[in-house]
Amino acid sequence: MRKLSRREIIKLASIVGAGVLMPGEVQAFGSMIDTIVQKMSEGIKGTIGKDIETPPPIPGARFGMVIDLGLCIGCRRCSYGCKLENNVPDSINPPYIMVFETKYKPGQIIDENSPVKEHESGNGLLYSKLRRDRMYMPVQCNHCDDPPCTKVCPTKATYKSADGIVMMDYNKCIGCRYCMAACPYGARRFNWSKPEIPPEKINPLVPLRTDGVVEKCTFCVHRTRRGKTTRCVEVCPNKARTFGNLNDPDSAVSRLIASERYFRLKVGLNTGPEIWYLTRPKRKPMAWYKPIPISPDVRGLKK
Amino acid sequence: MKVVKDAIGYAIENLAAADMKFYIYCLILLIIAGVGLSGAVTALAEGHVHSNMSDMVPWGILISGLAFFIGLSAGATMVGLLIHGFGRDDYHPMGTRAILIGMMCIFAAMGCVMMDVGNPFRAMKIPFLLRNETSMFFISSSSYMGFTALLIAELVSTIYVTIGRAGSRGRKIAKYLGILAVPYALIVVHSFTGTIFGVVKAREMWNTPLLPVHFVTSALASGFALVILVTIITSWVNKKDLVSRETYNHMGIMLCFFLIATVFLDTFDYLILKYSGTVEGLETWHLFTGRYLPVFLINMVGLYAALIMTISKKFRSPRGLFFVSVIVIIAIAAYRINLISIAQLIPLYHELGEIQYVPNMHEVAPLIGLMAALMLLYAILTKVLPLEDKVHKTGE
Repeated sequence: MRKLSRREIIKLASIVGAGVLMPGEVQAFGSMIDTIVQKMSEGIKGTIGKDIETPPPIPGARFGMVIDLGLCIGCRRCSYGCKLENNVPDSINPPYIMVFETKYKPGQIIDENSPVKEHESGNGLLYSKLRRDRMYMPVQCNHCDDPPCTKVCPTKATYKSADGIVMMDYNKCIGCRYCMAACPYGARRFNWSKPEIPPEKINPLVPLRTDGVVEKCTFCVHRTRRGKTTRCVEVCPNKARTFGNLNDPDSAVSRLIASERYFRLKVGLNTGPEIWYLTRPKRKPMAWYKPIPISPDVRGLKK
Repeated sequence: MKVVKDAIGYAIENLAAADMKFYIYCLILLIIAGVGLSGAVTALAEGHVHSNMSDMVPWGILISGLAFFIGLSAGATMVGLLIHGFGRDDYHPMGTRAILIGMMCIFAAMGCVMMDVGNPFRAMKIPFLLRNETSMFFISSSSYMGFTALLIAELVSTIYVTIGRAGSRGRKIAKYLGILAVPYALIVVHSFTGTIFGVVKAREMWNTPLLPVHFVTSALASGFALVILVTIITSWVNKKDLVSRETYNHMGIMLCFFLIATVFLDTFDYLILKYSGTVEGLETWHLFTGRYLPVFLINMVGLYAALIMTISKKFRSPRGLFFVSVIVIIAIAAYRINLISIAQLIPLYHELGEIQYVPNMHEVAPLIGLMAALMLLYAILTKVLPLEDKVHKTGE
């Protein structure tokens, strides 16, 4: 048998290699083109949630939420419940509701100029044990009275509805993320990849989103406009959260704001946030649960 | 029809006459563009999951690229103003080239946006089918379309003048378009691009009314530096000076003035950030002078070095201006990265801890691919279009 030269071996290997690799490559390229064409069609038509009816705004309502920091134990059940209720995929990380372990102890006078010890664990979002000597603080979309995100959105994909809820129209969102850059509360989430939700976990009342669009807390619009409360309020074991109509002086939220000391986040920016934090001290008899774990692989955060 | 036929004939004739070096150059650019832009196609299919952007840093290197390229397009318009507004006929050989540079830069800026957004197909509905008049992004992107249309009109009218087919009315149109491009570029395009960031009160580094002014000055400096760079490289490639030494000297003086304004604003911007003592201001300062010190140094040292060099007449020669232009372009690119990407690393809540962002190859490769594609387009267009220097040389 004739011995093959080096050139012939390379030639043969190239042909065999191409024969083996190319079908897969071609198939991958074909499926990529299919995806792009499908995206183009979806992008132009806008089909997200077309089959789901969102109830209209409730006339005269101005929804808001009160969070009692003295009752929050940082268990993250609000965050987890929100995720399940709103078809939020695992890829949305951090979730709509972030719960921080703050560096402040209950009763400590907060002074930004005083030297305060930093977290021993390094990151206030990724804690895994609850500490009774710490304050916990849930943050989410503040459904601002004058939201910066709606002003900057180039397509009116995000808008302030008549009942105060800052909403998203996923079929108008181009994914420019200007709203995310403009939000002082870091409340918006972008689908960096195609969201995957197991079929058995899908809530049929909430539209499934695609990659390339921004999403956020909607105050569970599918529930609250049907007379229910939000999911995070429902699942909180210590009833730290209260949701209601701020325009109604007899509502629980209005009464709490009228009778208790409160603060709102970054009021100096004049956005008119509608999440009100009560600064009551921690109560003694409270339910304590382990915190629901959060993935340490939060995009953009140092682990 | 005859005009189109003549144009096609002229283009084919010029392409056929091009030497092998030109084709090799085009081939290299084509390969870089193909490899780089394949990254953009992947992102289109799979989303931006492979990028290093995050919900904490929603705008990465591509948006820095938008601001940078928009700025570069400013210099192009200045050449038109110098020729038509100030009667500097010595800039004539760069007339059409400058318009082409402006067009390529605006294409690059729009390309950056299209590669960055999550749904580029839907983005094409702006401004006619989707609009929000209060959004600076909407106003800016609409103004880019207007700027592109203006530059195309200026290009066509300039070509008509160059080939001697324009009457007195045509020459007037070319003149007015050349003059109009400057206020349009500076007041509408660049100011509003600065305003995209300036109106964001959530970010300390951005939220200042001076940002639009800052954008205009840095745009003029970087854009004019690019025009100088292209003039020098074209002269070297053609082995013949496009403009005279006196014109180079004038270019250096112009660049010096633009640099003075930019350095002034940059310096006081950083000084105020440091000395204001606000928490966010100090955090921004610590970021710039800590983890991202190299970017900060490239920006500031580069600008100061370039300014000092342009003050000296020795550096206002083609060789000196080549180095100065490269330094200015790199320094202002560093400024854009500092301003846009790094300024977002200040956490909105302290409890988030350290936020990280360094652009990866999935973001950088499409940007390089886009630049290569536009350099290729520029090379072909300068070959097939009747530019001033070619027409003068051949006497057509």
